[in-house]
Amino acid sequence: MQASRALIARQAPRSLFTNNIQSSLRSLVLTRRTYAARATTPVTPESPVTQKDPVPPLSPSTVRSPGLEYYLAGADKVPGSTVNPYKDGPSALDKAMTSFLFTELIRGMWIVLEQFFRPPYTIMYPFEKGPLSPRFRGEHALRRYPNGEERCIACKLCEAICPAQAITIESEARADGSRRTTKYDIDMTKCIYCGFCQEACPVDAIVETQNQEFSTETREELLYNKEKLLANGDRAEAEIAANLHSEHVYR
Amino acid sequence: MSVARTVRSFFRVGPREWWRQLQYIGDAKSGTLVGTDRFGNRYYENLNGHEEVPGRHRWVDYAQHEFNASQVPPEWHSWISHIRRDPPTEDPVIQKMTPPWQAPYYENLTGTRAAYRPYNTVAPKINAWEPRTARSRQ
Repeated sequence: MQASRALIARQAPRSLFTNNIQSSLRSLVLTRRTYAARATTPVTPESPVTQKDPVPPLSPSTVRSPGLEYYLAGADKVPGSTVNPYKDGPSALDKAMTSFLFTELIRGMWIVLEQFFRPPYTIMYPFEKGPLSPRFRGEHALRRYPNGEERCIACKLCEAICPAQAITIESEARADGSRRTTKYDIDMTKCIYCGFCQEACPVDAIVETQNQEFSTETREELLYNKEKLLANGDRAEAEIAANLHSEHVYR
Repeated sequence: MSVARTVRSFFRVGPREWWRQLQYIGDAKSGTLVGTDRFGNRYYENLNGHEEVPGRHRWVDYAQHEFNASQVPPEWHSWISHIRRDPPTEDPVIQKMTPPWQAPYYENLTGTRAAYRPYNTVAPKINAWEPRTARSRQ
């Protein structure tokens, strides 16, 4: 432990400052050597016209980029220099027509004119309605068993998982000993319609129906209590059960 | 073509129905009557892709003048929203899943006197102090 700390103390200033100095000195020496090598074998670049040897003698010690090699080799030796890039493209006349006569505008307006004579795609809500999924998450409802017994057993899993904390539940034991909710309130102005409540429910009691047309004129009408939620479920039980039936193979 | 479709609908559904569609839907449509719900709303369908644009092939003709999207009962809502393929009069799943205790549907009653008003379903836990004098105890 102490030995490693001493090592760090000894090496720390070197790694911070001395190493920089050393590396820059090393690069200076390398640069000097390179210049010295070029000075012994001078490179005289000839012009491409008067050049006799296609590849001029270059010292292997000098570092050259490929571009310099091609420049020294001559323009016709450059790969691809004999290819005409405009061969298969539009002619200069075509390009001038396009840019000066604004044919894009005319073609675009022609598409607009075609759409003008086609039947509209606008869905005339509320006479026609857009497609909804059986998994659509709309207004909440509390369901009942087929014999009419309410499903909710007041386990409060939905209240626990609700990220918006929109659900409030209070429960009591009934006269027959089974535990049921006495208060099941959902603040629909808090709800974010994530669907966690219906996924958390072990008895499929709280569900989100496909009803999205429950807008209200006042804010307090969106503070649902248990009676309202049960009434929602009683009215839409056939649709809820059919949707759950169509989804049962995926659950 | 839209004009030809409007003219064709005129000859199919008759002038009275055609004028009613133009006043309410704002578009003249023609198709087969699939069913009628208990409120008198009539549901139509036209599966010909050349006559009705796919996505507009199911529509409802509301019975009331003050029509409202929530006047469609849930069974027909699942048909007109393309959730279920068959109308509820022919859908075996919907018919089997309808319990005997299913409550009659009513539309969204907001803005009327029958609108829902929230209330507490449990007794209040905090009660105001009711002063009791020696006389009131007697």
